[in-house]
Amino acid sequence: MSGVTTTQLDGFRAEVRAWCKDHVPADWRARQTGVSDAEFVDFQQGWFQELRAGGYAVPHWPAEWGGGMSTAEQIVLYQELAAHDAPRLVLAFVSIHHAASTLLEAGTDEQRARHLPAILDGEIWCQGFSEPDAGSDLAGLSTRATPVDDGWVVDGQKVWVSGGLHADWCLLLARTDPDARKRHGISYFLLDMATPGVEVRPIKQATGESHFCEMFLSDVHIPTAGLVGAENAGWQVAQATLGAERGMTMLELAERLGQAGFGWLVDVCHEPGPTGDRPIDDPVVLDGLARLDAEVAGLRLLCQHHVERVDAGEAGPADASIVKLYYSELLQRLTDFGADVVGLAGQTVLQKPVSSGWESGAWVLDFISSWEWTIPGGSSEIQRSIIGERGLGLPREPKVAGA
Amino acid sequence: MSAPTEFAELHDDLRAVARELLAASAGEEIDWGVIADAGWLGLEVPEGQGGAGATFAEVAVILEELGRAATPGPYLGTAVLGVGALAVTEPGPRVDELLAAVAAGEVLLGVALAPTGDRALVEPAFRVDGADAAPTLHGRAEFVADANVADRLLLLADHPDHGMVFVDVSPDAVVVDEQPVIDATRRFGTVAAAGVEVAAGAILPIVGDVQHVADRGALAVACDGIGLAATMLDATVAYVADRQQFGRPIGSFQAVKHTCADMQVQLTVARELVDAAVEAVVTDRTDAPRAVARASSFAGETAVSVVGDALQMHGGIGYTWESGLHVHLKRATLDRSLFGSPSAQRRRLAAALAAGAGTGS
Repeated sequence: MSGVTTTQLDGFRAEVRAWCKDHVPADWRARQTGVSDAEFVDFQQGWFQELRAGGYAVPHWPAEWGGGMSTAEQIVLYQELAAHDAPRLVLAFVSIHHAASTLLEAGTDEQRARHLPAILDGEIWCQGFSEPDAGSDLAGLSTRATPVDDGWVVDGQKVWVSGGLHADWCLLLARTDPDARKRHGISYFLLDMATPGVEVRPIKQATGESHFCEMFLSDVHIPTAGLVGAENAGWQVAQATLGAERGMTMLELAERLGQAGFGWLVDVCHEPGPTGDRPIDDPVVLDGLARLDAEVAGLRLLCQHHVERVDAGEAGPADASIVKLYYSELLQRLTDFGADVVGLAGQTVLQKPVSSGWESGAWVLDFISSWEWTIPGGSSEIQRSIIGERGLGLPREPKVAGA
Repeated sequence: MSAPTEFAELHDDLRAVARELLAASAGEEIDWGVIADAGWLGLEVPEGQGGAGATFAEVAVILEELGRAATPGPYLGTAVLGVGALAVTEPGPRVDELLAAVAAGEVLLGVALAPTGDRALVEPAFRVDGADAAPTLHGRAEFVADANVADRLLLLADHPDHGMVFVDVSPDAVVVDEQPVIDATRRFGTVAAAGVEVAAGAILPIVGDVQHVADRGALAVACDGIGLAATMLDATVAYVADRQQFGRPIGSFQAVKHTCADMQVQLTVARELVDAAVEAVVTDRTDAPRAVARASSFAGETAVSVVGDALQMHGGIGYTWESGLHVHLKRATLDRSLFGSPSAQRRRLAAALAAGAGTGS
């Protein structure tokens, strides 16, 4: 890693550790279990401002906008936040990653000046990409943006909008040229969620929670200033900004899985069950745990080296897919193992803390919510196709006529 | 990324040279003089004894290439186990003489660390009786790598005064019988001694941690497995991109493409664990045994799985003798059983997990 010495990194690690000891609320998991939506939002906003005051909220942003931390320091930061089981920035996630990178890479000076400081003050963003008929085939989206004198009028339906109920703004993809080839007729917009005609409804998901929403757009006006990049170049803008977190999110989640998550799994294996037997005394359980130990170690190495390769400009075209696929499926295996080990007792844990990573020690719910990783963001099947085609250079599927 | 040694930047060159040299003799018994001349046997031998003074990280590069080409030969017994064993014995003229002979390609070594070759943990199969007066050697070990081709055998033994020692004997002084195995690229033998008289100077006290030698063995076959899997993935990708069925390359079918993707993911993670273990061994970190256990258990299974998938993706042709894929599958299966099966290596990890909480890097 360029420009930072080991001694400086050690010093930085000590600084982050001290900060975590002072600032991570010891009992936040208990307090954030079963809370209302409003309490969740308050907690997330408060934690974001704590991190901001410490200089840790947007480390990946350019220095002029309040970031400027080196990749090596960011790795240390996320390792330590994971080690201290700090709350995750769930609500601000799209704002600080996707919205910011879109604005930084493709936005105008006015758009940046309008939104980047606002994001630091707590402006919440969501992403309006997927549609009921455009999931894995995102480029097939049909939400229509029709040009009018002072901008566009948008009609359509979006789905899987994370945090849609709390968002102030939305990153929106809509079709502006229905006659162009499908990846060449899409534009990228900034949509004010307060605009008349925007309706958001929560979707109750498999866990019973509602993190995702559907969004209906009826005659929604977007002013000219709401366009990002060139008209009909929205797909290209989205491609350039989707990998915004440069592997850092996966690194953070891998650290959380490896440190807190796996630790809880080992702990629960030491707890005597109803008959007094401990799971850890079962050689089959012990072997499974050892297998996961090796796999989690592999994941952490993979994620750290991926971030370093991205930083050095050496990442392969499918490396991010390898990371996402391996994390998702390992998370599923690990939480499945946890649900199996805790048995019926796990079925009585009816709630898990919000602001958490995907594993929380509520193993059955953790297991069920692991599909939140294997399906969205490019399902495991899509990732395998990307690895096969872009990574290994295998031939694509033949095109179906008309698609 | 890279092992932190002064040789790290030479790895690409070393790899390229090795790949070219080994490809030229693919599937054949390579002239071992060529290997010695290339300096690969003495990579870790100190420069004073004619070696390169390099580290296990460079040996690991060669091991992966030997795996890629499924090269037969005694690299495991000599460069991995032999040099490793001499590194933990008390320094002296006899050790120096052996190291120099290894580096010069004059002597091949065989090492017995346990009663049989599948043990993750060392356990002397031999014992020395009679202390220093008239020592005699007793015991029997199975699946001693390269025992039948070795010029000298280093046998781990219990000694009444010194604890564990290596006894340096000529194969002629003991009974060595070849143990034929399915894999045609590695050779094993039994070594038996029933009251063999040994010279006092042949008893080499151990001053380091002899378990390191077995860990080198486990890691060496893990590196080999990475090479086996990597070359089989390459071959599979080339084959399925070319082979046409139903009017299209079979690699365009998701069932085939996704299998290749899974092979790639498994191999990528295995490589991460193996690289980390090599670095831990080279820098002699205290967590090296754990890193080796993780790498060995994961890579051992991955190699068999990836090579097995390669055979499947090649269809009927993959099952033929002529295709040669069976060579890699047999070697991967054998590798998996050496120096601790995946489940045996996981038992090492499990011991720590059973003892307490499991967090940590």
